[in-house]
Amino acid sequence: MIDLRLKIDDVPIDHPSIVRLRTDVVESEHDAVLIDRDHESQTFDLAGYSLRVYCGPQTDLDGDVLLVVPGRNSAHRLVRAGSRHNTFLVTEQCDQLCVMCSQPPKKYHVDLFEQFTVAATLAPENARITISGGEPLLHKRRLYQFLVAAAKARPDISFHVLTNGQFFEPGDIAIIDEIGRDRVLWGIPLYAPHAELHDSIVAKRGAFETLSQNFVTLMRAGAAVELRTVVLQQNWDVLPRLADYTSTRLPFIDVWAIMQLENIGYGRMNWAHSFKDTSLDFGQLRSAINLAIGRGIQTLLYNFPLCTVPSQYRHLAPSTISDWKNKFLEECGECALRSTCGGFFEWYKADQGFGGLSRQ
Amino acid sequence: MTVFPLKFTRLASDYLFADDAGGYFRGDRNFLERYAGGNLTASDTEFLHRNGYAFDEVGDPAYLGFAYRWAQRLHRPQGLNYVILVPTLRCNLACGYCQVSRVNQNTTGFDWTEDALAEVLRFLDGMDTASAKIEFQGGEPLLRLDLLQTVREFARRKFKDVSFTVCTNLQSVSDEAWTFLDASDTFVSTSLDGDLSAHQRQRTITSHGTDQFVSNLRYGIERLGRGKVSALPTLDVNNLPTPNQIIETFGDFGFRSIFLRPINHQGFARKRYQTTGMDERWNDYHGRFIDALIEHNWTADFPVEEFYFTHCLRRVLRGGHNHHVDLRNPNILGKDYIVIDFDGTFYPSDEARMVTRVGQIDLSLGSLWDGIDQVKLDVLNEEATNSFHPDCIHCPYQAACGIDVIDDLSRYGRIDVPKRDTTFCRRHTAIFEKVFELLYSDDKKAHKSLAAWAGIPEFDSSLAPVHR
Repeated sequence: MIDLRLKIDDVPIDHPSIVRLRTDVVESEHDAVLIDRDHESQTFDLAGYSLRVYCGPQTDLDGDVLLVVPGRNSAHRLVRAGSRHNTFLVTEQCDQLCVMCSQPPKKYHVDLFEQFTVAATLAPENARITISGGEPLLHKRRLYQFLVAAAKARPDISFHVLTNGQFFEPGDIAIIDEIGRDRVLWGIPLYAPHAELHDSIVAKRGAFETLSQNFVTLMRAGAAVELRTVVLQQNWDVLPRLADYTSTRLPFIDVWAIMQLENIGYGRMNWAHSFKDTSLDFGQLRSAINLAIGRGIQTLLYNFPLCTVPSQYRHLAPSTISDWKNKFLEECGECALRSTCGGFFEWYKADQGFGGLSRQ
Repeated sequence: MTVFPLKFTRLASDYLFADDAGGYFRGDRNFLERYAGGNLTASDTEFLHRNGYAFDEVGDPAYLGFAYRWAQRLHRPQGLNYVILVPTLRCNLACGYCQVSRVNQNTTGFDWTEDALAEVLRFLDGMDTASAKIEFQGGEPLLRLDLLQTVREFARRKFKDVSFTVCTNLQSVSDEAWTFLDASDTFVSTSLDGDLSAHQRQRTITSHGTDQFVSNLRYGIERLGRGKVSALPTLDVNNLPTPNQIIETFGDFGFRSIFLRPINHQGFARKRYQTTGMDERWNDYHGRFIDALIEHNWTADFPVEEFYFTHCLRRVLRGGHNHHVDLRNPNILGKDYIVIDFDGTFYPSDEARMVTRVGQIDLSLGSLWDGIDQVKLDVLNEEATNSFHPDCIHCPYQAACGIDVIDDLSRYGRIDVPKRDTTFCRRHTAIFEKVFELLYSDDKKAHKSLAAWAGIPEFDSSLAPVHR
């Protein structure tokens, strides 16, 4: 597991600041250049002050972007220059309480969009930044401002916004256009093809109805959408019908991501009655996948260890677990598929997990 | 609730119902009567609504999902990105059916002039696209390797992403030509007329010629890699190899995609071979070929496809499958691809070039020097859609089908012949009938092939919805 927070010595700042760490060149007022390095830390020059970051001497911090908050002895590593998995958690508030939530909501919100805008402009070339929450669109006006500003400042970068889709309005089409339709991939979950089940999974009455209307808005906007469905015991039986719904109502989506459960947050709490062991029973997925792909919907399996997937479906399962939170088990050691497998979540518990793992 | 209009036709003992967006299902006579009589039951409306054949109000998700799928079925032509070039009409073979007209290898005056070459480059330079595909036709294009080299060098500089296909008979390939073909952006397309005896009868004439071709083809596959060489069979409907002979011959070279084409009515082929009134015979053969493939694939290590059948199957299953220029709707000509002949004349397709060469009708579209004849092009394109054609709008296969104005003109000299009397319609009707026969079959062997051809891991019966 890679730490997304780095221990630092206190720095004399009075508001949350963005710093980019550099080993030699300085290109921006936000850049802090390396001045010292020892076995437990690297020290950077930040506008005359020393910023001491604790990490191993081998750790490459060049190009990493940190969020430093006054009075805190740890910095958020917002952008890791060498990683494809950079996420800005823009709020922890949410209007839904999904049974599988990996990041349960909190009540309070601190607006750091200004800092996120600076951080985005400092990201490495062609970076794709994930915007996550909570529900980012609860602060829609600020989010859009951030996306417009960052997209304009950096024509090379793109965004993957994870949202429950509840807050889009027909009037948003103009701003989605302004940000750039090909600049944002909206990752939006749909758990069932009908209101009763979807609403109960996300614990919000009327969520399905609102979401289906908002998909219409996104279709009209020409937005790029990644439809996300976490496989659960709750929706297992309706997956083929969800495939049917997707192919008839949502033919405009870019990709349908069928996802395995992450056992953290509510996902861990609800594990026993939510986790569906697809290594022992792949049945409904077969049907759903073949119908969806047959009808022209690109369909992928996220967070499925390759050995849990029947061989003729493995090409649909890219390695998707973020580099900072994936791991491999002892029995993965000699596995022939290891180099293309995403492995397991760091918090995966073997005794409650897949019953059908097998070294390939 | 409003049901989107359904069209229907017989499917075994039942009926196939289809809508304008490409949705389809199988239903029985009773359902047909309930639908036609306006007496739908609750279970009918539930089925129709759930599966996207009906909507509650304009603008709701079911309505817009349908609208999107309908729009996906339409081909929206991009800017020009595919150019077929004929640098020479000369050829070192004299195949009896040669569709493109050709002249003997030593005849003069049938190659691009210096001026024509310069104009071709100027034409390419004027293209407003980042990626392009350039196909060299002939004649035998390798007879003018120098022209191919010049065009390729220029195009590589001009386009960000470009690939080249050399349509060659592989009869005589110099060391220099092999080196040219080695490049990773350059592909080979050749003819292999079914089995070797038909190939000799139709193309190489002597066993020495056949040996030369076979050895070049084997060498080419080995040297360039299997993925860079493809072969097409052109078949004489009056003298057809058995399906298995073709499957085995192609399999012997490692080809897994076979694009069966009957000797073309167009061009000089018409004069020598009887090619009219052959539709039924060809359709029957094509159907038997598909059956033979299904049998073959049941035990084969790698599935083999008939390219055009796969294409039609995918067009039945989904929208947006428009990469093959012969079958799309609307089929706007002279827009995303164009043919430039040895004398610099533009044609909307290779078929149009052949028809014009035999003097049947002039389908040329101007030239490198005069530019595109937009007036003529507009006349052709006015009818280049099946969307409003009085015959097509009642056809359940309409959404998956296309239109071919050039084919109609070349066969009948007009485009207003009733569709069911045209070869284009008969052939496609037969293919789509076969597609649905297989989709609704419960034969495991058929399912295995269908899955391979549709690009899905396994066949699922939900791809063949039924309502009673």
